Amino acid sequence: MTRVALRSIRSHLGRFLMSVIAVMLGVAFVAGTFSLRAMLSSTFDSIVSASAQGDAYVRGVQTSESGSDPSTLGQERGVIPLDLESTIQDTAGVRAVVPELSGPVVLVGEDGTAVNGGGGAPSFALAYDPADTSIQLVAGDPPSGPGEVVLETSTMEASGLAIGDTTSIVLGGVSEVRVVGEATFGTASAGARFVLIDRAVAEAAFAPDGGVASFAVYGDDGIDEESLVAELRTALAGASEAEVATGDQIRQESKDQIDTILGFVSTFLLVFAAISLFVGAFIIANTFQMIVRQRQREFAMLRAIGASPGQVFASILVQAAVVGLLGSAAGVGAGVALVAGLRFVLGQMGQELSGDIPLDASTVGISMTVGLVVSLVAAAVPARRAALTPPVEAMRDEIVVADRGSRLRALLGVLLVVVGAAAVVSSVVAELDSAGSVLGAGAAGIVLGVLLVAPTMVPAVLRVLAAPVVAAVRPLGALARGNVTRNPRRTASTAGALMIGMALVGAVSVLAASAAESTRSIVENESTADFVLSSATFEVPKEVVPQVEALDGVVAADTTHVGPLTVDGERTIVVGIPSDMVGRTLQIEVVDGDLASLSSGAAAVSTGAAKENGWAVGDVLAMTDGAQSRDVTIGAVIDSQILDVDVTLPLDVYEDLVPAAQDRIRTILVATAAGADPEEIRRELTETAKPYLIISVLDNEEFADSLADQVNQVLVILYALLGLSVVIAVLGIVNTLALSIAERTKEIGLLRAVGLGRAQLAAVVTIESVLTAVFGTVLGMVVGVGIASALPSVFADQGLNLLAIPWARLSVLVVLSVVVGAVAAVGPAVRAARLDVLDAVSHE
Amino acid sequence: MRALAADPAATEQIASARTLVKVYGTGEAAVRALDGVDVDFARGEMTAIMGPSGSGKSTLMHCMAGLDTPTSGTAMVDGENVGRMKQRDLTRLRRTRLGFVFQSFNLIPTLTAEENITLPLDIARADVDLDWFDTVVDAVGLRDRLDHRPSELSGGQQQRVACARALVSRPSVVFADEPTGNLDSRSSGEVLGFLRRSVDELGQSVVMVTHDPTAASYAHRVLFLADGRLVGELEDPTAETVLDALRELGAGRREPIPHAASAAHGTHAAENTER
Repeated sequence: MTRVALRSIRSHLGRFLMSVIAVMLGVAFVAGTFSLRAMLSSTFDSIVSASAQGDAYVRGVQTSESGSDPSTLGQERGVIPLDLESTIQDTAGVRAVVPELSGPVVLVGEDGTAVNGGGGAPSFALAYDPADTSIQLVAGDPPSGPGEVVLETSTMEASGLAIGDTTSIVLGGVSEVRVVGEATFGTASAGARFVLIDRAVAEAAFAPDGGVASFAVYGDDGIDEESLVAELRTALAGASEAEVATGDQIRQESKDQIDTILGFVSTFLLVFAAISLFVGAFIIANTFQMIVRQRQREFAMLRAIGASPGQVFASILVQAAVVGLLGSAAGVGAGVALVAGLRFVLGQMGQELSGDIPLDASTVGISMTVGLVVSLVAAAVPARRAALTPPVEAMRDEIVVADRGSRLRALLGVLLVVVGAAAVVSSVVAELDSAGSVLGAGAAGIVLGVLLVAPTMVPAVLRVLAAPVVAAVRPLGALARGNVTRNPRRTASTAGALMIGMALVGAVSVLAASAAESTRSIVENESTADFVLSSATFEVPKEVVPQVEALDGVVAADTTHVGPLTVDGERTIVVGIPSDMVGRTLQIEVVDGDLASLSSGAAAVSTGAAKENGWAVGDVLAMTDGAQSRDVTIGAVIDSQILDVDVTLPLDVYEDLVPAAQDRIRTILVATAAGADPEEIRRELTETAKPYLIISVLDNEEFADSLADQVNQVLVILYALLGLSVVIAVLGIVNTLALSIAERTKEIGLLRAVGLGRAQLAAVVTIESVLTAVFGTVLGMVVGVGIASALPSVFADQGLNLLAIPWARLSVLVVLSVVVGAVAAVGPAVRAARLDVLDAVSHE
Repeated sequence: MRALAADPAATEQIASARTLVKVYGTGEAAVRALDGVDVDFARGEMTAIMGPSGSGKSTLMHCMAGLDTPTSGTAMVDGENVGRMKQRDLTRLRRTRLGFVFQSFNLIPTLTAEENITLPLDIARADVDLDWFDTVVDAVGLRDRLDHRPSELSGGQQQRVACARALVSRPSVVFADEPTGNLDSRSSGEVLGFLRRSVDELGQSVVMVTHDPTAASYAHRVLFLADGRLVGELEDPTAETVLDALRELGAGRREPIPHAASAAHGTHAAENTER
């Protein structure tokens, strides 16, 4: 029987090809996800190893335990005095010590514009230290004095500059510099840009108050890390703010942090792997159903000459195993190719990743197993049917397949939807701590439930969806609708991939639109500034402030500062504002207390933080940055989205506590004199900002738009993934159409015999395909938009307080689904149209 | 029975074949399914084509109906040379000038009986002649079944719907391929009776392939084919005269065969059990 099974594959290779491709696609995602993760991980690991080559590190002690939130990574430690350097240097076994002197910089490229990091990666300036073995000068000289810089190799390429060129950098202020050398870290930079500057310049820029985050320590030859650390601990016993760690420990911590972040990415990718495998399984089931159908006489004959049902079953499963193995093997290859392609694309965008694509045994093992199991399970149902069909029945012309269990399935689906919806509603209504995860589980329940109910909904929903086309193209529309509703289960499964994808995109579109709308309304409500200056690097250079204040017609240039601080034992980011800013360029809703108290040194806290920590007006908060400490009274509880942090301080208190090195000006809100010409002021402001390259001058409305735009950029990556689910969906639709046409050959012959033209037949197939695609899209969108509508209520205190449904964008998606359907139909429609009428009529 | 080829002087013809040849395959494997057939089908008559399996009777009908392309010779239907027509013209021809009734699977399962009947006109985007539609529906006796889907109709009813569909566009000629092959004798009688009435009362022309002598006896004229040639013809047949003719044919072809009639009958029986 095995031989029969293998021969059959060989003689019907084309028929199996679609199944192999389906498995391949699913497995490609699984393998691709794992190896992408491994590659990213190794890239960052090599960056970590290359950039953290010290044998030991001295750093500030940890000031809080909140290390799990990725947004605060590396920020939960205090600073240590720069003058510890000599103590460390003098310690036995220390060969060299390099303080961490680095921070954001803007480099002006050869074309006069800022050099951007690949894929949005940041640009850093760091002190050039010959003792730092992670940096090697490959050409030119080391930087000396404020007028010289050395560029890292990939940064040099991206900037278009060469050694000897003159350009500017924005480091605090703008300065004219000459490129004097080129250096390398000896590893891929993942898109980040590096400008190496003179040690003294870096100290002035990044450690103006004499504090640094850490020192890298290089030991003498032959000393091991542990003994070096022991020596340092002894030497630094007096400095309680400093802690010593081995180089390995630091590198491990960095890697762990990176792995956490990559974990989110791979979860997301695996969701898509699951979708594609679901569709893959469905395509395999379809293919085997078709094969079983076409070969039922052969099976009957085998049964008649004595093959047992088990043997027939096994012979089909052997075929499925071959398909699964072939597809999985091809999938692993395709996955690697996918990652290679991705790396190439990222490389083109200036984000180099490390050279080799890792493919370990476990990735191959998991991918192959998943592909094989999915294939076997998918083929089991049609195989069982083939095995159990009595030979006599199989000899007959047609087998009517009863759609059993549909009621139970629908019932289960409804139950899931109801429970899921209840979970979503309860996450909205009841103020649960875990509202987010309840919502997630509810959403998953709804999606799964709708998948189960979908077959039952096919006839009714399609009656509505197909109505226009039925009326418009008689009788083709009615024929197509009949074909789509004939096997509701198949139609629903075909539409499933698109449904899931569209649910995801629909939800995120609504979320993004709501977030953008919320941001816009907040800014419009809270900012009363006439102009807003903000920076592409989220840091406005400090020297621009007096220049703006000096302009005619400018009444006030209010700066909002952000910096880290430990408040009430928790490391957090605080905002500092001039106390007289409120009422001038800011208008903030006060829930309790009075904002006038800011001028007497009191703090304002957000309603969320007040609720979470039990703070109230009059409470005293202990604030410290490690060096400076102060008790600050809460003067007001505010509800603000511009001041989107827990604690807002008056500028004098803020400057007192936050080290200057950590202070950043986020925006400058400009108030103009009454009667001043706004166009004139805008021209002046633009002129002032121009040398800084990164500062944009916006009026209040433009500022709101620019914030909303940032949210929209999140959507771009989602649309890329939608593209993926569209590819999978097209494959599913093509496969289903092929199966359906094979089953209807005789009917097609009949239609042609009574005068249906080829173009008309192709139109029927196309309409079927489009109806299926639109069905999946509309269903998915209803689910996605429905779930997303609950989000603004759940995340209201995180700034999402308005529900906006982007109808235009959603209708574009529906139009897209029509295109998808039409594209998927091309192959099957051409094949159907080419069927010979006589052959089709006499087809068995 | 008179042996004859084409008779141009006979009643006005609706379709005709001239030295029609159809060869399947090439070289050693070549089979001459039609070996120079000359035949005329009269307007306003029901003509049955009979012959043993492999005699070419289905091939003849397929060539006449434009479903198959003859290797040589001409197949004319209502003044058009269907053997030389392009697909596009054939499609147009099928919509309005030809009617088809197949042995099985005649109806689109997703359409109601009424929609199935008007399907050719809908496809052609032609208006349905309501008077004629009523006439046809009443003639097949399906007025109360128009809203039903094929799965809700009996085999005989399905074939009558198929006949109504074949007639609804007032075609020049209706081609019926074993229209009663899958029916019991009572349903067969209904369907054949209707086909005959469509000729006698509604003025249609019908060409039917069958190997059932009883079915053939409903025709005005029976043509006999063997080995791709026209070998005989019978006017106003009865089941008995058809059987006699078949027996005579069998005797003429392969003598000595003592029980030609039962042999012919046997073939018929065997073909029926096959499906």
